[in-house]
Amino acid sequence: MSSTLLPEERALDAHVRTNSSKSKRYGFFPGCVAKESCKELFNSTMLLADKLGIELVELTAASCCGASVLNDTNRDVARVLNARTYAQAEALGLDDVITICSTCTGHMRAANKELRESEERMAHANAILGKFGANYKGTVTVRHLLWLLIDDIGLDALRSMVVRPLNGLKVAPFYGCHIIRPESVNGWESARHPHSLEDVIVALGGEAVDYAGKTRCCGFHVQLEKDGIASSMVGQNMRMAKDNGAEAVITPCPLCHLALDGYQADAAARWGRTDLPIFHLPQLVAYALGVPAEKLGLNKHLIDPREVMVSRDLIN
Amino acid sequence: MAKIKLDIFRFDEATDTVPHRDEVTVDLPETTTVLDALEYAKAEVDGSISFRRSCRSAICGSCSMSIGGVTSLACKTSCGSAMEEDGSVKIDPMPNFQPMKDLVVHMDPFWDKYARLKPYLQPNDADSAHATERRVSPDDMKKLVDVANCIMCATCYSLCPVVSVDPAFAGPAAIAYAYRFIEDVRDGKRTDRLAQISEDYLWLCAHCYACSYCPKHVDPNDRIIDVKRATIKDRVMMNERGPRHALVVAKTIKQTGMLAETEVIQGTVGRFNIRGLLKVAPLGARMALKGKLPPPFLKPVPKVDEIRTIFDALEAPVR
Repeated sequence: MSSTLLPEERALDAHVRTNSSKSKRYGFFPGCVAKESCKELFNSTMLLADKLGIELVELTAASCCGASVLNDTNRDVARVLNARTYAQAEALGLDDVITICSTCTGHMRAANKELRESEERMAHANAILGKFGANYKGTVTVRHLLWLLIDDIGLDALRSMVVRPLNGLKVAPFYGCHIIRPESVNGWESARHPHSLEDVIVALGGEAVDYAGKTRCCGFHVQLEKDGIASSMVGQNMRMAKDNGAEAVITPCPLCHLALDGYQADAAARWGRTDLPIFHLPQLVAYALGVPAEKLGLNKHLIDPREVMVSRDLIN
Repeated sequence: MAKIKLDIFRFDEATDTVPHRDEVTVDLPETTTVLDALEYAKAEVDGSISFRRSCRSAICGSCSMSIGGVTSLACKTSCGSAMEEDGSVKIDPMPNFQPMKDLVVHMDPFWDKYARLKPYLQPNDADSAHATERRVSPDDMKKLVDVANCIMCATCYSLCPVVSVDPAFAGPAAIAYAYRFIEDVRDGKRTDRLAQISEDYLWLCAHCYACSYCPKHVDPNDRIIDVKRATIKDRVMMNERGPRHALVVAKTIKQTGMLAETEVIQGTVGRFNIRGLLKVAPLGARMALKGKLPPPFLKPVPKVDEIRTIFDALEAPVR
């Protein structure tokens, strides 16, 4: 489908085969929200990694990626902070940093692109990292767990690992802006017509629901700027999903999760009740691969996903 | 040659209460632009199909419409690239605008937001008939040329999710065009412009990059960030939630290495803004009941001194 970019303008490193992918040992950047208000995401990611037979080496001294907000204050600080994180991965012999957040993916990839495309910016970052003896050589690739699932594990292998298929559960994908846009930074798939989440939903035995809201914004980043703005954006998108038959939503982004799970109740006045439970990507994959549902932190969600799982005979 | 099914939104505000769709099949190569296919359909099949167009070369910005669900210039999009599996090309008027007739929309809100930012140079000189040339260095001009490529096609505005829920938001094109004058060394109204665009909800941009689909690579998303940085640098309207939010995020990252959610909420809304905090309280209470509240204080990540060194070396502002 159409893109405003020429093929050579797209990010080219999204599908790269890293050394980490050969050794199944990856650098892991969980991001702030998975360590704070969405701990269930962190826990289910680690349980999923066990099932997949991969090792996620957490970069414990890493900083926040900048979360798109740090750019609003200073042109360089997010880039240099991320260079520090990549230097830590390199020091551990890892050339692949896996994220579980769309915003981390987009902003860490943007920083890495800026560094790797300009010797001047790389030298500038390394001059600062040198103050504490660190150095980034530029060997790291940043990818989301979603891409790892499809490129390194493979959809066929994933399908064969499913022990508890989703019994046709109608799941609407919600991508989260920063894993697809801009294409010049992400480029793993078309930002206008992505299908990676749909492919995973189908591989797990679910039915993917198509709707226009899947590539739209959840409003997370402006939830505090003006009252009612994020809930309107959430309501608009969840209304579309619900009207197209969705029983649940899956997202690779904990920021989208916070907004979609948290604001549907507030959106009901304008958009009608939707009450769609929101799954973190690793929760639903881990469930289908046999991780016990009670270990996935489903009780932490504001909209309890267990009701819809009972209705599809997924849990008792 | 291929049979291309143009699936066209039809509506006339003068006579219709609800829109309908017409399917027009044209026998043309898939490489045909959507605009050429529409011109062919209008000339050979149905002369009443209405759409705006002029240059046919992605310069005039008239023919923006929703093609296959995403706003694009019809003259820059091939039928083949936007074709559904059944061979149809779905064509609608731009979203976020009121339809007038078929693919023609009322552009007034878009122009109004342009007009508000006074899109012309306002030099500092008291004497408008200035005696000398106003020189701009190549480096200073380089900052402006990308934005000057804007053809006001409103693709970005029509795709903006914030505009779709809050029409008070200036929208990406207007903010990018504000940048064009804010960063122009000849302009004398920088502070006024920054205040105006802040009032028009500069900080309501949701960072979604929908405007990265710009057909002219103006990329308003990046210019919006530039304007926000300019307001912080010049300390314009610093008590708004937007700049408070950005600076408290920076502060918590510098202190702990992490974005500390609890402190960011308090710092953005205002620790003593009881009414504001009460508005966030119901969601906070719902999260607390589920054991989902972020911790009130964060332990700094290992080697947090390195992070502080980076902030200090770059003189990055924090609150």
